[in-house]
Amino acid sequence: MEFLSRTQLISALAAIGLAVYVLDLVRRRRLSEEYSLLWVVASVVAAILGFSTPLLRAITRALGILYEGSTVFFFGLAFATAMLLHVSVKLSRLGQENHALTRELALVRYDLEQLRAGRPDTTTPGGGGNAA
Amino acid sequence: MSAPRVLVIVPAHNEEESLPVTLDELRRKAPGLDVLVVDDGSRDRSAQVARDCGVPVVRHAVNLGVGGALQTGFRWALRHGYSVGVQLDADGQHDPAYLEALLEPVLGGACDVSIGSRYIARSGYRAPLGRRLGMLLFSSVVRLTVGQRITDTTSGFRAYGREVMEICQHDFPKDFPDAPLLIDLARRGFRLFEVPVQMRAREAGRSFYTLGKSLYYPYKNILASLIVLLKRPG
Repeated sequence: MEFLSRTQLISALAAIGLAVYVLDLVRRRRLSEEYSLLWVVASVVAAILGFSTPLLRAITRALGILYEGSTVFFFGLAFATAMLLHVSVKLSRLGQENHALTRELALVRYDLEQLRAGRPDTTTPGGGGNAA
Repeated sequence: MSAPRVLVIVPAHNEEESLPVTLDELRRKAPGLDVLVVDDGSRDRSAQVARDCGVPVVRHAVNLGVGGALQTGFRWALRHGYSVGVQLDADGQHDPAYLEALLEPVLGGACDVSIGSRYIARSGYRAPLGRRLGMLLFSSVVRLTVGQRITDTTSGFRAYGREVMEICQHDFPKDFPDAPLLIDLARRGFRLFEVPVQMRAREAGRSFYTLGKSLYYPYKNILASLIVLLKRPG
């Protein structure tokens, strides 16, 4: 097998390592299927680019890149950016849900305290007795 | 429909020292108004202290910030049949003596949100230069974007009408309760109005706006204002 450079060899080996690690994370249920798919695809693409020199050459030429190593970096960077954006979106949603749950929990806890204290009917409009 | 019911919402985060003073003053100066304390994930005895004052308390399990506390307050107010919510800080900055003036335009239907402003009339409050510049900056941002003249964008002394509370309980720029919120509200067609008030120095505890955040504040709020403008009106 022909390797163009040490970069290609390293990225190919790293891709295998990554794939093994991702599969292990899935096996141990530390990574949800949704994310594991993305990571598996990414590591497979990296491995193919790493081991198939003709393909890497063809893609490099097609994209007008001068040096094959840059193609590997280009894809790596593109994937990392997309993944970070995806995680930010997920995190925003998680934050919003967490926020809403905290607020709802506070209101439910209040109602529960009222019920326990024998003062129900707190959610009826106009029914909340709370004069100091 | 009976007379509009007003709820004073007091967001509190670690305010066990100033809460009794604030609640006591509220009772003396605004005896007719109902009060709710929203304990925003305090680590101290804020909730207990407020309950001891005979005021209902809802407690966030974790700290969400003023915006989140307000949202919970709005929701509680609506569920309990209130039609106007007033935000009053727990730290004693806001004098309940101004509540009547603050509520008047909202109760009278002249506006949807009234804001207690330190800067309209000659007041005892003399802000440091940096703060004055910031105030001018955000006042301009609001004026340029939505055409409303708001002198005190950071004032936390505000009264909100029913429709505002209904919208805000779900959708709210919760991390940016200052200029971005005002822009958001103005874009939704709500009428904002300022009422001159004087504010005092804090009684105790720490401000939501600490010194360390003072440089980051203008940066994030200008960006957030622009982003609020980008958002599709919901």
